[in-house]
Amino acid sequence: MQSLSRRDLGRAALAATAAATVPATARAQAAPSGPPIRIGYSMSLSGGLAGNGRPALLAHRIWAEEVNSKGGLLGRPVELVNYDDQSTGAQVPGIYTKLIDVDKVDLVISGYATAIIAPAMPIVMQRNMAFVSLFGTGVNNDFKYDRYFSINPTGSQVKETFAKGFMDIAMAMDPKPRSIALVNLDSDFHQRTAESARFLARQHGLRVVYDRAYPPSTVDFAPIIRAVQAARPDIVFVGSYPPDTAGLLRAASELRVNFQMMGGPMIGPHITAQKLQLGPILNNLVVWDVYAPEPTLQFPGTQALIERYQPLAAKEGTDALGHYVPPLAYAQMQVLEQAVRRVGRIDQAALAADMHANGFDTVIGPLRFDALGEWTEERNLYTQYQGVQGNGIDQFRKAGTQVILYPQRYKSGDLRKPYTAGA
Amino acid sequence: MSDATIPATPALPRPWRIGHGAFWLGSAAVALLLIAALRAFGSEYAYFAATFVLQYVVLATAWNILGGYAGYVNFGAAAFFAAGAYTTVAIGKALGLSLLPCIAFAAVVGGALGLGTGILTLRLRGAYFAIATLCLSVVLQTIVVNWSYVGGSRGAYVIRPRDVPWPFDSYSGFLCAVMVVLAAASIAVARSIEKSRLGLGLAALRDDEAAAEAAGVPTLRLKLVATTISGAMMAVAGAPLPLLGSYVEPNSAFGLAYAVNAIAMPLIGGTGSWAGPLIGAVLLASLQQAATVTISSAANLMIVGVVLVVFVCAAPHGIIGLFRRRA
Repeated sequence: MQSLSRRDLGRAALAATAAATVPATARAQAAPSGPPIRIGYSMSLSGGLAGNGRPALLAHRIWAEEVNSKGGLLGRPVELVNYDDQSTGAQVPGIYTKLIDVDKVDLVISGYATAIIAPAMPIVMQRNMAFVSLFGTGVNNDFKYDRYFSINPTGSQVKETFAKGFMDIAMAMDPKPRSIALVNLDSDFHQRTAESARFLARQHGLRVVYDRAYPPSTVDFAPIIRAVQAARPDIVFVGSYPPDTAGLLRAASELRVNFQMMGGPMIGPHITAQKLQLGPILNNLVVWDVYAPEPTLQFPGTQALIERYQPLAAKEGTDALGHYVPPLAYAQMQVLEQAVRRVGRIDQAALAADMHANGFDTVIGPLRFDALGEWTEERNLYTQYQGVQGNGIDQFRKAGTQVILYPQRYKSGDLRKPYTAGA
Repeated sequence: MSDATIPATPALPRPWRIGHGAFWLGSAAVALLLIAALRAFGSEYAYFAATFVLQYVVLATAWNILGGYAGYVNFGAAAFFAAGAYTTVAIGKALGLSLLPCIAFAAVVGGALGLGTGILTLRLRGAYFAIATLCLSVVLQTIVVNWSYVGGSRGAYVIRPRDVPWPFDSYSGFLCAVMVVLAAASIAVARSIEKSRLGLGLAALRDDEAAAEAAGVPTLRLKLVATTISGAMMAVAGAPLPLLGSYVEPNSAFGLAYAVNAIAMPLIGGTGSWAGPLIGAVLLASLQQAATVTISSAANLMIVGVVLVVFVCAAPHGIIGLFRRRA
């Protein structure tokens, strides 16, 4: 045996001291090595869906950086491979075949919204790959693909559950409402939500005094609001997308509406720019949402994600607050990550089996998938904007501005009525 | 009477021209070669990229029959294209037929739509005709949005059949082969029209409709024939779309990209000849497809516009025009 010199002993002691001073977590998180795990998808970075596509991509990048900084996935770095689908479904099949055949990605996820998810399905199904989607409504009802998993809080019983929160809040008012007006955009998502409202209104014995869908080309919303006013409903359920939501709420403000309750899946205030633009017009509006910065709706990692997202969003000029899509987009990746870690290898069948069998802890809370890949328990939030003053952004960062009214377990405030569009 | 005799002009050798039959046979041979080459390549992505490009070859060639040969600019290409797509959805749902019969139905529907449009609008000329065709697109989209049988505004899912037709190894390969055949057939049809009396008549009415009418060209009848054939071919281009993506919804089927590309591609390639739309479509669609999977940003949306502006300024008669001028 070779004897240790005094110099060698000194070196060994220095190395031992250095090893002892390095935190245990850092030692466990060795830099990932080996070929990267490539995750492929299309994302709408231009066109009509880009407003939500860009924040989703930013959330994905945050996730990838975090995973890589903590040692990667299965010891390998993760790499995101994505292409801009231009918000056009026709681009999607080509992108997914390129991702799978040419780029040889290991895993695939979806881009944002039903119109982008559905055209990817045949390609993904042909290769028997597990597929985690983002904000798709009822995509798998026709395909019935057993490796499809949806990150969308609406669940699979949209008709029975989507408008339940809105109706429960309305029926708890004193006096109870007796009539309802239904206004919705003529689109896939809003047809489904209006169907739910119609179904539940009938169950609650509400008289439907107005029930019309408006075409996507509508630019003047004053006639719609006037017609609703003329029907004199107690409550108004509206389904709309951002440009229409702004038009409808501005028309409501100009016509000085006064309804006991108004709202629904009015997608628009979810985007920071529209929150700021509408300001006090939002007061007392009851809006379907997926997240609100309330103390009752905090899960491990939610606040950290938002805090990490906001400075990056400011730098990249995308949605400033990131309360709508980013948490769900991050959760989409967490589902994939947790399944891969549990399975321990990239095996599509095993990943799908794991996703069906086990639950997931995500930044939007615990979730579990049913046979169709939808959430076993829907989590439609109904929130109300309260006390909005002016058009400053800081009021929307803090609790109390967008209180949660439903479901009961996340409730953070009480309903204020009537809705008068800021008047 | 003068004794001077006019010397006989030496007989010029007749330019060698390919007959219709030979061109059709040549097109069929090229189509077979292309199918074999793609099969040998064996990549699903190659199938998709080729289908994407060939779909535009059919659409641009169809547009050129009315827009290029007859000089009637049709802004409603997306309407005919979507009519084909929705015929596949409706016929597939009602009768459970496979793609090939649906394409035949789409041709009939597109032809009827073209004839109807022709009867209603061909008394209009220039910008007025173009606006009328744009209206057709809006009207048709409104009908589809309100027609729940084909999915309405929700869109419709069309699940690909599980059995892949022999001798193809995948349904994408079969779809690609169908598009190759359709593209070859559409080019052969366009070339046959161009070199026939019909083509000469269309060229006459493009140059001066009043003069052509005075010279005995039956302009209205020729225009109706052109709108019918053009409409049928554009609908044929759209018929495989639902099976390509398994999902079709009005906003994407009536997308502005189809209308713009259908016009831009023949303009870039050259409108006077069957080769123009082919060159324009291959160039522009390949560029767009390549940009989608490389640049991957909003920049690729600018490609059509920039290329179009460059060609309108530098080569107003398209790429074909550049070569002719040099010759």
